[in-house]
Amino acid sequence: MRRLRSAGVLGSVLVLALAMSACGKSTKAGGTATVLFGTAPDSLDPGMAYTTQALEPDQTAYIPMLTYAHVAGTAGGKLIPGLATALPTISADGKTYTMTMRHGLVFSNGRPVKASNFTYAVERALKIPWGGSSFITDNVVGSEAFASGSAKSISGITADDATGQITIKLKAPYGAFDNVLAFPSFAPVPKGTPFKNEPTNPPPGVGPYKITNIVPNVSYQVVRNPYWAKEAIPGIPSGSLNTINAKISSNTTANALAVLGNSADVFDFADTIPPSILAQVPSRASGRYEKVIKNSTYYFFMNTKTKPFSSELARRAVIVGLDRNAIARLGSGFFTPACHLLPPGIIGHPTGPCPYGDPTKPELAKAQALVKESGMAGTPVTVWGEMRSPRRQFVDYYTSFLNQIGFKATEKIIADATYFPTIGNLKLNPQTGFADWNEDFPNPIDFYGILIAGDAILPTNNQNFSQVNDPVINAKVNTLGSLYKVPTSSLSSVASQWQALDEYTSKKAYTAVFGYASFPKLASNRLDFSAAVLHTVFGWDWLTFKLK
Amino acid sequence: MRRFVVRRVAAAIGVLFVISVLTFLIFPTIPNGDPALRIGGRLATAQEIAQIRHEWGFDKPVYVQYARTMEKIFDGTVVSYTQGVNVLDEIRHGLPATLSLALGAGFIWLMLGILFGVVTAIKAGRFADRALTVLAFIGVSSPPFFLGALVIYYLGYKAGVVPLGGYVPLSQDPLQWFTHLIAPWLVLSVLFIGIYSRVLRSTLLDTLGEDYVRTARAKGISERRVLARHVLRNSLIPIISLWGLDFAQVIGGGAILTESVFSLHGVGQFAAESIGRLDLPPILVVTMLTAFAVVLLSAIVDILYAVLDPRIRLSG
Repeated sequence: MRRLRSAGVLGSVLVLALAMSACGKSTKAGGTATVLFGTAPDSLDPGMAYTTQALEPDQTAYIPMLTYAHVAGTAGGKLIPGLATALPTISADGKTYTMTMRHGLVFSNGRPVKASNFTYAVERALKIPWGGSSFITDNVVGSEAFASGSAKSISGITADDATGQITIKLKAPYGAFDNVLAFPSFAPVPKGTPFKNEPTNPPPGVGPYKITNIVPNVSYQVVRNPYWAKEAIPGIPSGSLNTINAKISSNTTANALAVLGNSADVFDFADTIPPSILAQVPSRASGRYEKVIKNSTYYFFMNTKTKPFSSELARRAVIVGLDRNAIARLGSGFFTPACHLLPPGIIGHPTGPCPYGDPTKPELAKAQALVKESGMAGTPVTVWGEMRSPRRQFVDYYTSFLNQIGFKATEKIIADATYFPTIGNLKLNPQTGFADWNEDFPNPIDFYGILIAGDAILPTNNQNFSQVNDPVINAKVNTLGSLYKVPTSSLSSVASQWQALDEYTSKKAYTAVFGYASFPKLASNRLDFSAAVLHTVFGWDWLTFKLK
Repeated sequence: MRRFVVRRVAAAIGVLFVISVLTFLIFPTIPNGDPALRIGGRLATAQEIAQIRHEWGFDKPVYVQYARTMEKIFDGTVVSYTQGVNVLDEIRHGLPATLSLALGAGFIWLMLGILFGVVTAIKAGRFADRALTVLAFIGVSSPPFFLGALVIYYLGYKAGVVPLGGYVPLSQDPLQWFTHLIAPWLVLSVLFIGIYSRVLRSTLLDTLGEDYVRTARAKGISERRVLARHVLRNSLIPIISLWGLDFAQVIGGGAILTESVFSLHGVGQFAAESIGRLDLPPILVVTMLTAFAVVLLSAIVDILYAVLDPRIRLSG
């Protein structure tokens, strides 16, 4: 172990020297940076954390069995081994995953990590329950019984502490299960950690840092894990900073100004830079600001089970006439107009033109004609939306647009906290409204399996708002569908199939996709901007932060 | 006095009970306001939602849920639905910032409100009156989020004379405590100064025309003494009443906008964030705290009434 550390130090010195001679600029190890968030994390306990504000710090302190390459762009979506020695081996029937825990790992409290700590973390996440628990309960044998309390353990997971081998049995092949193993919520935690959310005292984990000094909704610190250096894992940076101070400040204008004025170092990418200061950001923060597209899709759902959008012509009218440029302006330019459900960073994103013309050139007259042709002109439509800006404005525009093309639209705006539970209630049968999806992981099934698959139509928490139940799509993405089973590592071999499927979905006009969101990457002039990664999955990758 | 205290304590218990019941009952009436759905998140299955509902007791009758929540509030174990943090701990953390804001701002708006009120009354119809009246209207019509944004941009970002927000405890660094609070104090005070000066001006002008004031002047008492002892003392009664209620509201988390704009992390900001999440336990506790503060300050104001005007007794 000691040798590893020496090699690491030597390597760092060499890399640093090379970087200095090659680029003529220097970065320094150590130091402190301050990250500002407009919103508090839901919980820093990995067993509960689901928001980006929580996952960013958790990625530094809770390395899962698998993780993602710490690089920018789509390459950051590549799975690499985390605490596992290698990516799992998958049985021929796709139902058994086998992996081995690295030897000699220790938690940030100095206690050794065993294979069974992984099982314990999964059980804990199910009992809390974590927001993405269904990724386990839908797939792993015996997990539903454990979650409901009728079993004492998850029969589908076995762990051998002596060899470090972990075997997971799935009910049916689920190709994206590799991605599921990369959630920090399933990163090993010590046995005995209570099966409840511990937001102020998160459990020890394995990672370059640990989270400490938590004052809920105010601040916390990420400091070096003293046990990390002994166990450097290939592909996982050890981080340059000694301390990262995270501060929660609800005034995002003040946060942006603090980073612009270099009194803080990082602006949360999930916050919006207020339009009042946005214009001056590119000039004032030259070289330390850019817009980064992440894998998310924003769209208006159109319920195919009820009038008027049971008519394909009516749905096409919306897609043809929607002014995506106007929506992008309402979003302060943080939208790229688009028409396909899969965003560009996801395998299967179509590269060809949109089926109903250029999305930046709306054809209002054609849309009006299509509504007439559909026989749905004058149909009352309730448009659902959230209160928060700019989503409210998107819905305002969309409602007036629907009226322009011949419907009788009225909007129904409800509180953000109840929006998705409301429109996800199948009894309500909402006609149309705002929807979005930000990837859980970079895999097309994360979009299709939840938003479009016929078996994703659920009575409660339905996310298939358009209620698409198309046999062509279902054959591919329902459970046991041909694309549903394809392992993440083989996704590129079926890219053309995904592309064809996404083109088919666009042609059927099931959703009125209006764009892919981009996010502000804004940092102080103290931080090495080119080294800092705004990662496709992690958000800001704190392990890449360096001071100049 | 004893009877007065007993009555006030009984009234406080009654008010807190009614307010807590009303606040609690609002939540089940919100469409799709089931907290289990929000705790579970967008991907929670029906089984998980049922599990959450059972574990949190949301499947019990409303009166049982109310009783359990109140029990947890009083034994200090009540936690937020969405964040899992102890609500009373959060309020304990936020209270110093809120108290600091309330005490400083309350002092400023009371003193400047009285000063401007007196000046405008004495100089009624003259330039000083008109100028201060315009300023008062500007103050009354400037919402804290707007003024706060201007202060943060021009005095914080451009001039660098005040911090961009945040709160430093008095015990940690008194100077930083003061510099972090000076802008919120002024922003919060502006609205109240405008209101108080207008109310006091009007009361003073009425009082100046009273017979007893003419009598005092006829006795040859100096104008300053007439103003201080006879006019101002009587005119302050509505101001004290107003101040008590406003101050109580700020202590109880009423300065939501000011606390949020300056990220003071006080009780008001906690309340605002909890409202955004429709998180019942924090909203319930903050509402009860506000009600308690209003009842307590009202009692103190009643005592002050008796000091200002001996004709008022504390019997009822």
